[in-house]
Amino acid sequence: MSYETAPDEHVHAHEAGPDDVVLVSCVQHSYEDGTAVHLCGLDFIAKRGQRVAVLGPNGAGKTTMLYHILGLMKAQEGLVRVFGRDPAEEWPEIRQRIGVVLQNVDEQLLAPTVAEDIAFSPRQYGLSEPDIAARVDRALGLLDIEKLRDRVPHNLSGGEKRKVAMAGALAMKPELLVLDEPFEGLDPASRERMGEMLKLLAGDGTTIVMATHDIDSVPDMADYAYVMAPGGQIALSGTPAEVFSAADVLAAGNIRPPVLASLFMRLREESADAPTPALNVDAAVEALIEWRG
Amino acid sequence: MSHIHIPDGVLPLWLWGLGWLVTLVLVGAAGKLAERHDMRRKVPLLGVTAALMLVAMSSEIIPIAYHVNLTVVAGILLGPVLSIVAAFIVELILALLGHGGVTVIGLNTLIVAAEMIIGWTLFRTFVALLSRKRAGVAAGMSTVITLAITTTALVGIVWLGGSAATARETGALDPADLSFTNPFTEGVFSVGLFSGGEADAPSAPADSTQSAASESNSLSVKRFAAVVYTLGPLGWLFEALITAAIVRYVTRVRPTLIFSGALAEKERRIPGDEAGGL
Amino acid sequence: MHIGAVDESATLGRSWIHTASPITKLVAFALVLAAAVVSWNLLVLAGLLILLVSVATTARLKPGLAYSLAAYPALFAGVFAFASAPNVLTGLIIVMKAAVAGLAAVTLILTTPYPQVFAPVQRIVPGIVGDALLMTYRSTFLLLDKFSNLLTAIRLRSGLRGGHPLRSARATSQALGGLLLYSFDLSQRDYDIMRLRGYQDRLKTSLPRGATPARDAFLLAAALLALATSIVWRLGAAVLNPYSWLVLLLPLAALIAAALTSRRAL
Repeated sequence: MSYETAPDEHVHAHEAGPDDVVLVSCVQHSYEDGTAVHLCGLDFIAKRGQRVAVLGPNGAGKTTMLYHILGLMKAQEGLVRVFGRDPAEEWPEIRQRIGVVLQNVDEQLLAPTVAEDIAFSPRQYGLSEPDIAARVDRALGLLDIEKLRDRVPHNLSGGEKRKVAMAGALAMKPELLVLDEPFEGLDPASRERMGEMLKLLAGDGTTIVMATHDIDSVPDMADYAYVMAPGGQIALSGTPAEVFSAADVLAAGNIRPPVLASLFMRLREESADAPTPALNVDAAVEALIEWRG
Repeated sequence: MSHIHIPDGVLPLWLWGLGWLVTLVLVGAAGKLAERHDMRRKVPLLGVTAALMLVAMSSEIIPIAYHVNLTVVAGILLGPVLSIVAAFIVELILALLGHGGVTVIGLNTLIVAAEMIIGWTLFRTFVALLSRKRAGVAAGMSTVITLAITTTALVGIVWLGGSAATARETGALDPADLSFTNPFTEGVFSVGLFSGGEADAPSAPADSTQSAASESNSLSVKRFAAVVYTLGPLGWLFEALITAAIVRYVTRVRPTLIFSGALAEKERRIPGDEAGGL
Repeated sequence: MHIGAVDESATLGRSWIHTASPITKLVAFALVLAAAVVSWNLLVLAGLLILLVSVATTARLKPGLAYSLAAYPALFAGVFAFASAPNVLTGLIIVMKAAVAGLAAVTLILTTPYPQVFAPVQRIVPGIVGDALLMTYRSTFLLLDKFSNLLTAIRLRSGLRGGHPLRSARATSQALGGLLLYSFDLSQRDYDIMRLRGYQDRLKTSLPRGATPARDAFLLAAALLALATSIVWRLGAAVLNPYSWLVLLLPLAALIAAALTSRRAL
């Protein structure tokens, strides 16, 4: 785990390592009217096959960071590298390797039917029709939405739309998945299935970068987490267990830890011999039984 | 009054043909320029602005046959090069929807583009003279002057075409060709907002000369001018108020869109995220 | 007016015109448009309109959607005709031309998914024009959708209180400013997404589904016949005008056939 409190003291990695799929280092973006986002502090690094969560309060600049990773914004200062390239300059070279689901799923369904929409990217990249058909079938299967195939996307529910958008992102079999609030609008069962699918994809080497408010699902959904402070700086990084034990940094960032983490923290306040925090229910039960016994 | 709602077949070939020719050359050049200066990034703004003009132009204020055009606002937002593209697209779609003819797309594009570009130029001049704080006033003044200029140009075009328009075959119910009597021959119905002008003369009798028929059927320049110059200024004022209000609002909320020229870098916003830092 | 309603009609329909090839439909559309441009004969135009109504009927387009969209152009044309047409006949012809063009465009858009319409068009116009044309189409629906919401919001938040024309005008134009910015942000995101998902300069589309050459040929033949009729009646007006009623026979037969088949199918 690394801490960072004073943004000026940190050391830049400057160039990405061989296994680093994404690197964001002290990016600053300022607007003409004086408002600005400074993504300084720790360097943000996502390695191959890693599921990385970006946490932070509203307005911390999570989406701004994703936009820089996607080449939609050009870093006025600082460094952004995706697959070793500057996405703002060299997007056409890397875009086929990146799948995206942004926050407003309503806006990213482009084609008139679900199947057509999932086929959108493969078609724009000029894949053959049989290949496209196979990819559509696979993506529909992965998300378990075969029955939506011929529906008009506009008429779907929020959760269904998110699944369709995810299927569209997976159709290109991306090496990097960038997700903004991937679990919003999903019911608990769908959320769980989505989590399992992400784990499977990461196991196959897909890197996943997700910005989320959904703190409670982070321990299960992510291998690594970055915490952004309200000022935009990246204040904390580590495994979910490490991050959620840094109560002071979380509090400063207006982030409420997961319920289980809070429970164990309270136990520690009450009794010095309380067990180390467990972040999922099974581990917590085990730890508590052992502690009581 | 920014474009002619003239159906096909009213204007002579040389006039609308020339309009199309000049338009295609201009649109081609604008396209090249836009590519060279990486103006693709402005396509979303172009789309929204064109859509706004479409919506405005299709919300007719029925009794006075006037509709808001928002051409000056659009010109201010897009700058001259993209204005040409936007004008062409708006006229193309309007024509496909029957709002004026297909043949007059060329001329209409020229008028709308001219209006946008004149508006943009005047606005820039007035802002330089008055200061940015008075952008709303500058926009309103630009609108009135621009519309006065383009309305005159429009009357000129109708005058050029109107005198040359020839007789048209109006089909089975054309009084000139009918052997049975029909109710329209006696001018049962006098059309139009204003009486006066040769077009209000009763329809030509069956044995009339070709030229008399042409006169009654061709668009009356006088009446057209009367309509646009009497109702026009009211419309200009109305349009100026709306333009000023929109420009004032956008200046306050997103000044780069108005002042930083066609290629401002900093206008992409992520609502909520910009508050993040200092 | 939601773009979803248009998409739904274009993609869920299974009629013969839905399954005709998009290129054929575009060409037929151009031919019908040309026929309307050429003709100054009220009955020829009426014939075209009846023909289009029968096509819309067999396509099972929702009448509320199709005819209300198609009525807009006729309405504008009516205002124009009222202000400037020299006589009632010319006025009627102007309105009729607009109605034909409008219904033809609406029939095309309601039976053809938009990528299939825009892909061929983008192939023949300069890059940025095709790009902007597509974004204008998408933004128009977006704008119409948000406009009523915004007016409602302004009204609720005290802008439009009855009997204050000046204040309501100010509130409305304020709303227009907000609408512009809001739509711009939406359109920007829409374009971002298209580019992120692989769109570059022009849409690529699949091969159209299940087009049958016979139907395409029939559609083209009908459109050509319409244009030919229109031209012949224009050129030979002096001789043919008294026989203009003949032009109506075929479209009327088509309409009756369309009405009968669609009733049987119900």
